[in-house]
Amino acid sequence: MSLIEIKNLKKIYRIDDVETQALRGVSFNVAKGEFIAIIGPSGSGKSTLLHMLGFLDTPTEGDYLFEGKSIKDFSEEEQALVRNKKMGFVFQSFNLLPRNSVIDNVMLPLMYSDIPEKEWKKRGEDAIEAVGLSHRRDHLTAKLSGGEKQRTAIARALINNPEIIFADEPTGNLDTKTGDTIMEIFNDLNRNKKHTLILITHEQEVAQYADRIIQVRDGLIEYDINSKNGNGNGNGNVLKKKAQ
Amino acid sequence: MKIKQTFRVALASLKTNKLRSTLTILGIVIGITSIMIVMSVGNSAEKMILGEIGGMGPEIIVIRPGRQPKGPSDFAETLLSNSLTVRDIEALSKKSNVPFLADIAPSVIVPGGVSYGGETYQGMNFGWSAEMMADMFDIIPEEGQFFTEDDIKQKASVAVIGSKVKKELFGDSDAIGKNIKIKNRNFRVVATLEPKGQVSFFNVDEMILLPYSTAQSYLLGVDYYHEVIAMAETPELVEATVRDIEITLRESHSITDSSKDDFYIVTQEGMVEQITSIIGILTAFLSVVVAISLLVGGIGIMNIMFVSVTERTREIGLRKAIGATKKDILSQFLIEAVLLTGFGGFIGIVLGAILSFGASIGVGQALGSKMGFVFPWSAAAMGLAVSAFVGLVFGLVPAKKAANKDAIEALRYE
Repeated sequence: MSLIEIKNLKKIYRIDDVETQALRGVSFNVAKGEFIAIIGPSGSGKSTLLHMLGFLDTPTEGDYLFEGKSIKDFSEEEQALVRNKKMGFVFQSFNLLPRNSVIDNVMLPLMYSDIPEKEWKKRGEDAIEAVGLSHRRDHLTAKLSGGEKQRTAIARALINNPEIIFADEPTGNLDTKTGDTIMEIFNDLNRNKKHTLILITHEQEVAQYADRIIQVRDGLIEYDINSKNGNGNGNGNVLKKKAQ
Repeated sequence: MKIKQTFRVALASLKTNKLRSTLTILGIVIGITSIMIVMSVGNSAEKMILGEIGGMGPEIIVIRPGRQPKGPSDFAETLLSNSLTVRDIEALSKKSNVPFLADIAPSVIVPGGVSYGGETYQGMNFGWSAEMMADMFDIIPEEGQFFTEDDIKQKASVAVIGSKVKKELFGDSDAIGKNIKIKNRNFRVVATLEPKGQVSFFNVDEMILLPYSTAQSYLLGVDYYHEVIAMAETPELVEATVRDIEITLRESHSITDSSKDDFYIVTQEGMVEQITSIIGILTAFLSVVVAISLLVGGIGIMNIMFVSVTERTREIGLRKAIGATKKDILSQFLIEAVLLTGFGGFIGIVLGAILSFGASIGVGQALGSKMGFVFPWSAAAMGLAVSAFVGLVFGLVPAKKAANKDAIEALRYE
């Protein structure tokens, strides 16, 4: 069973009677342990796609199965629970609480979990260590560098040991060198710790870290290739059909 | 989500905006402080007044001329009214009319000071019966002897003076047998009173007691009384006696319609009822004012909570993304609002207790009597409950706004 299965996913925004088709029918599967980069120009619908995969948005049409269960069958509370336990989020603008310390930020998701409080600190410290930030544990996040902020955000995404981590332009606010460091962390999480990763980027170099690249344009998948096999002829539909 | 955690988060968020939080709760603080003062001073005043009425004695019945006063102008009418005369006393004294009457004596008040030699004193010149006073106030002369019913009949120019009057006019020297002057008429001091202080509404120490007949004829030049004081045989007989007095007086005044009564009757029980209802009305009125101030305070809280929700839009988005439910967000902001108002309420209670303690001392000094301080526990409990309730009510709408924020839009909010 695939971790994620989406079928003919559509998203239509309606603002003042003006319809915008952000997604016009997207289908693909994600297996456990995959490292996928979704690329595409701005306005292509890749962010909408990621939000939908992360249970932050609901499709207008089509279906989304997470661990075999349709998104329609999750109540609002169940969706929150899945976000908390099985998904991790990393954002372009970090979204940390600036007046809180690194460890407090990292432990934040535990507040909404059923994990007993006495385990929180240990978990937090482990997650911080996994991103190499132990020396900054008690610093306020407002005072960290961009790279350190993003590492804090990754540690926060890791805290509940999720099935899948979603990253929305995680290197977008970082310089190239720092971006590379962050990508190395993601790479390590995928290769050695077997976390499933889906990230959005518009940078080709960042996408190269992934095993699979899905190019989105105008709300449709342009191609879906296995990049590590060097099999990138741009014919997404053909490849997609092969994959199924 | 854990309640303890939520409290911690709410507390931390309030701490980061200390100045704002402080200013926000000011309205609540003032509101709760006012509740405390109103209730505490109200309770203390009620206790004090009821205590004084209690000193009057439950079997005392006071008959006043004129109509039952409904406002300040009516009191003036009481003093000018001439409906109670010696005929009434005679009628009331008959056993066949008022069977359970133990004693009865009219009284008049003579305005003006009293002097001896070069000294003048503004006391309370009261024409009454000395025997009845002794009986009612349970007092005996310190020196000399009280004037008698005979003195009253003969309109003797004699006076009994209170301890303060004696001290002011005579100092340490002897007062008995000396002539004091009231309105240029000489009165021989026949007795002085031991210090007694406040009894009911009289300050006995400041009293100059004269035979009422003398005061009527020579000082006031009137043939009516300002008040008639009667005593029932027992407190249980007061009600029946009041009825008998009313019937007798109506007959003697030829009144058939009780709404046209030209007298009214005051008893301890009646006064207690009246005072309690006056204080009740006053307290209710002040409570409305306080409620308005709490409403204003609550709106202030709501306003700041809206600001806080908007400011923390991204935080709300993030919390939702990492697994917070609507309920989690709602309770976070609700607890924040309740904490804010609850804290305001607590400060208000402390402040209110201090201020009402001060007020009870101040009022006590101004009135020259002891007004005990009553810590208004019920007001404190109510204040805390009300402030928390205000937080709940006025925090709810902003908290709902926070809870209903769309996660994606919230995350994108700049």
